[in-house]
Amino acid sequence: MAREHSDYRVFAKRVRLLLAAILALCLLGTFALWRVDGERVERLRTQVVDWFVPGFDWALVPVAKFAEFARGFESYQSLLEENRELRRELREMRMLKAEAAAHERQNNMLRKRNNVHPEESRTFVTGQVTADSGSPFRQAVIVNVGARDGVVDGWAVTDGFGLVGRISGVGGETSRVILLTDPSSRLPVIIGSSRERAIAEGNNSSAPVLTFLDSGDAVRPGDQVATSGDGGVFPANLPVGSVERGRAGRLQVRLSADYGRLEFLQILRYRPRERISGAGELVTPFDAEALEGAGGRSAAGEDDGNG
Amino acid sequence: MDRTGSARLWIMRALYVALCLAAVLFALVPLDTAPRGWAGPDLLLALTFAWAVRCPGFVPAPLVAAVFLLADLVFQRPPGLWAALALLASERFRTRAAALLPASFLLEWLEVAIALAVMTILYRFTLGIMAVDQPPPSLSMSQMAATVAVYPLIVGLSALAFGVRKTVQPDMLAPGAR
Repeated sequence: MAREHSDYRVFAKRVRLLLAAILALCLLGTFALWRVDGERVERLRTQVVDWFVPGFDWALVPVAKFAEFARGFESYQSLLEENRELRRELREMRMLKAEAAAHERQNNMLRKRNNVHPEESRTFVTGQVTADSGSPFRQAVIVNVGARDGVVDGWAVTDGFGLVGRISGVGGETSRVILLTDPSSRLPVIIGSSRERAIAEGNNSSAPVLTFLDSGDAVRPGDQVATSGDGGVFPANLPVGSVERGRAGRLQVRLSADYGRLEFLQILRYRPRERISGAGELVTPFDAEALEGAGGRSAAGEDDGNG
Repeated sequence: MDRTGSARLWIMRALYVALCLAAVLFALVPLDTAPRGWAGPDLLLALTFAWAVRCPGFVPAPLVAAVFLLADLVFQRPPGLWAALALLASERFRTRAAALLPASFLLEWLEVAIALAVMTILYRFTLGIMAVDQPPPSLSMSQMAATVAVYPLIVGLSALAFGVRKTVQPDMLAPGAR
């Protein structure tokens, strides 16, 4: 009897280990598959997130609100000071606003005078941040708009102050925004009045590093950084931040977006401009004849079709 | 006795899943979206290890695999790798459970720390070989240290709140999985 029992034990243990080994192999297989065919597995991931996150909205939003409330409570102590600070800032902002309005008027006038064709107006979808990446290893957030709201992979995301990131992964009701601070983020930018081009590389810190600068000499800390639109992924001239000199003298971007509190994000609808491919066809007298011939032929073809 | 025992087994398994989901959700709450230079503890892992040592029957391998795969997917980690390591480590603790039963907590804690270190090294090593973008080592280190630090807390909480203690219950050791 006892012998039987111990036999059963050993057997059960072996079965258990075998099962665990098979499971581990399956998991490692998933990892290998992800490495080989990342897109398919990433789509699966998007679907899982799309199923998981909205299902727990009821839990996520109140907790976030409560935490914010608690944080607000903390700052009641410095309310008076904060109030004074805000008033001062408001005065400054009013001044800047008047200035900006004047600039805009002047800008419009100059544009009109020079017959500048303005870029098409931008429309956007606003989404609320419902979850972040859950660990400090990736810098991404989940917003509660998705394919249902017409969101498309690759669109730019801002928070009203500056660029935040880009849509990467769209589910039915959610989409993932890769932030500019994520190590995989690379953004072509243009700097200040020097029109110097560079790439802002995310590196898991709050300030992406500027790389591939032509020459750092023309770039000064404080220069404005905007998207350059190179690569055709983002629209050009979205504000990103300003240049600052980081530790070890590297140039980096101080982001204008309020990364501490991403709550409502605007996802800009964007249709990449038509590409101009090739060097353009020069019409030489020789070609002109051929062109005419072709035109004539096609017209003739049409006639045939009609007849 | 047998019937109540098996009911408790299933309740505790459900509780394990519920606790893991709660931990995942808590991590997902967008409290602070600015990047920071340190990482919090991997609560799922601490919980799984603590329960695998104490009551292996409560954390069967398929459950561990499913929970960690979900975490991999939701946390945007490379899917499967960390889950596989967690599963193997928890299996190791499951088999060590009988040996650790009379041992002091310090020894167990040391083994957990070693397991975490081995897992972190293997994880980074594999990612390196497969040429996947890696987080900075300081982040991995801080997560490892935080998990080790939080382990006694998780053990204490499990014992006090959920009654997960080291007890000699032979039926829990035998049909561990399924």
